[in-house]
Amino acid sequence: MASVDLSYTAEEEQFREELRTWLAANIPDEWTQPGFWRALDDDESFRLRRDWEASKTAAGFSGIEWPTEYGGRGGTPGMKAIYDEEMVRARAPQTVNVLGLTFLAPTIMAIGTPEQKAEIIGPMLRNEVIWCQGFSEPGAGSDLAAVATRGVRDGDDYVVNGQKIWTTNAVHGDKIFTIVRTEPGSERHKGLSMMLIDMDQPGVEARPLKQMSGASEFGEVFFTDARVPAKDCLGEIGAGWRTAMLLLSFERGASGVGQYTEFRRQYDEIVAEARRFGRSDDPVARQRLANCLVELECLRYHAMHILTQVEQGRDLGSESSMTKLQWSETFQDLWEAFDDVLGPEASLARPRPDVDLTPFQHQAMWSRSVTIWGGSSQVQRNIVAERVLGLPR
Amino acid sequence: MFFALTDDQQAFATTVREFLADRFDLDAVRGVVEDPHGDGHPVGLWKGLADQGALAVLVPEEHDGLGLGLLDAQVVARELGRGVAPGPWTATVLAAEALRLAGSPEQQAVWLPGLAAGDTIGTVALRGEAGTWDGRGITVDASGERLSGTASPVDYPSVAGLIVVAATDPSGSPGLFLVESGASGLVIRDQETYDGTARVGAVELADTPAEPLGGGTLSGADAVAALMARGAVLTAADLVGVAREALTRTVDYDRERKQFGVPVGSFQAIKHTMADLHVAVTMAEHAVLFAAHAVDTQDPGVDVAVAVAKAKAADAAWATTGAMIQFFGGIGFTWEHEAHFFYKRARRRAPLFGSADEHRARLAALTID
Repeated sequence: MASVDLSYTAEEEQFREELRTWLAANIPDEWTQPGFWRALDDDESFRLRRDWEASKTAAGFSGIEWPTEYGGRGGTPGMKAIYDEEMVRARAPQTVNVLGLTFLAPTIMAIGTPEQKAEIIGPMLRNEVIWCQGFSEPGAGSDLAAVATRGVRDGDDYVVNGQKIWTTNAVHGDKIFTIVRTEPGSERHKGLSMMLIDMDQPGVEARPLKQMSGASEFGEVFFTDARVPAKDCLGEIGAGWRTAMLLLSFERGASGVGQYTEFRRQYDEIVAEARRFGRSDDPVARQRLANCLVELECLRYHAMHILTQVEQGRDLGSESSMTKLQWSETFQDLWEAFDDVLGPEASLARPRPDVDLTPFQHQAMWSRSVTIWGGSSQVQRNIVAERVLGLPR
Repeated sequence: MFFALTDDQQAFATTVREFLADRFDLDAVRGVVEDPHGDGHPVGLWKGLADQGALAVLVPEEHDGLGLGLLDAQVVARELGRGVAPGPWTATVLAAEALRLAGSPEQQAVWLPGLAAGDTIGTVALRGEAGTWDGRGITVDASGERLSGTASPVDYPSVAGLIVVAATDPSGSPGLFLVESGASGLVIRDQETYDGTARVGAVELADTPAEPLGGGTLSGADAVAALMARGAVLTAADLVGVAREALTRTVDYDRERKQFGVPVGSFQAIKHTMADLHVAVTMAEHAVLFAAHAVDTQDPGVDVAVAVAKAKAADAAWATTGAMIQFFGGIGFTWEHEAHFFYKRARRRAPLFGSADEHRARLAALTID
């Protein structure tokens, strides 16, 4: 076996060139300007991104590592890493179907019925159907097994009642994969089912949830006698917990390469602001920033490690908890450093007439959320301690 | 993309680890720690390492070495750190690196075979009191082929037959010189240190004859910088080994140790710290691997990579070995327990070849200015 080799194959580099060329030709300049997307109305931003991504799919640049039988490109894990990196480099719009593409699609490929495979994946890839994730509830956050949304069998359907929260794209979603308690009186992990519910019906209401940043990435979804055909269950009825765990296991792979690229650019942007405001010579500020860089570079090496594991066909298991801790804590720390380094100017929208810091402040506020969603840092530390280190529960 | 140790490298690590477990366990380490006036250089350990090729890793094949890279050398350093093993391994490897990088073919032919076989012990003297680790901290002056001044702290100078000294000439240019033990005007002053797994001293030179290293691929400030980078990576690897073993031992203990009727490792106050340390040590392991590869391949980002590795490894080692004492509780603070071997080794080595703060300052210079 060769020694450490950080290169991609010729075929993968060829893919990079093709993707770069396409991105260069298909992203309007104004889209890459800071603040462009935030200045848009939510609906307009969503529509633009939805259409753009559909054209990207048509050009063959979606579902990079998916098998061709599902409309994917049949690419390698390395190509997916390159894709993530190039999308960030080109300042491409963020995907609108992230939860469907990341979680639902691979789960359907693994355990879906032939009909589900045929009917769900293609339209998702073409952005004809936008998928939401209905896991968290007001009473079931970190403790997902406390789900109370219930579904009662009625003929060929289930009738669903309950509430989901922290639902990404709630108001723009078409369908939602939802953990529902389908066995009356069941507790905890038992009696749950993963129902694929049409959001375009009278029994489903989605409301935006205004966050501390002022934006509304998340929403709430209310089910009031919503109907879902029994055949639209992913996995067996009553096996929803197992389906959910399989689904969450797809939060891994090579995305760390893209995250590093994005965060490293943010580091450079913060450094540029520090220089602008005369703070870049301060030894304490320099230590603060350099420590962020240490952690960012470690994230990059860790992404290479994960990519290697994926290419070798190894099961990552609970290692994804380490990945989450490293990226989320580092990202949050970077954006605390922004304020630490800039001082009072960091809090001003326009500390000078020609300087707009609001995109920075949006990131800084957003950074508070990343150590909560997708498994809070505290939950991740429990997982690392118990499943990786073997400490007792 | 392949970012991991190869099967061969893993096998090499296992060989060194098993050798230490069989032939130089913590009782043997204790023997060295509790004999502070001994030379700290157990002959059996040294011969064993030499037999495994651990001293020949970086030496070119034409000089009886294995001709491998820093990536392979860091495997050994990590295992020695893990076993808190005493001895002049890092010092000797760095002296050989100085010859490989800056020495003439003749100088290499004279010294490298002996260094690779373990017949000659080497060390490096690269900075003086309060000096920085970037060539500006050199406190030895060269006048032609004569050196004067004091370098400190130097690893294992008392047992070294060959000392590679960094000195500046009257114009202020740094360079590397060979000084042999017993040279006139050379005085080795042993210095006591709390880290009983090493022996250190000051190298005092007074108009001491020295042979300039020259005719190799690197010279002057470049040669000094290259040696510093290799010292930083190997020290970081040692620290990562110390950290990993300290964490493993602490986890093992806290799985069993009961208080309040339950294992203390079931408490989240301990679990969460352990989890954070595991992430930190894992990241430091990645960083050392990357830095070693970057040095081997002369990657354009090598300066950043080395600084990241040393900063991360130093912080991780200090944090983990401190937690070892804390989470073993009172027993971890006793002399009879091994926790202090790890803690003291980490604490002494953390600033060698640049502290975490110095490397962060370097990163700032590389990415902010």
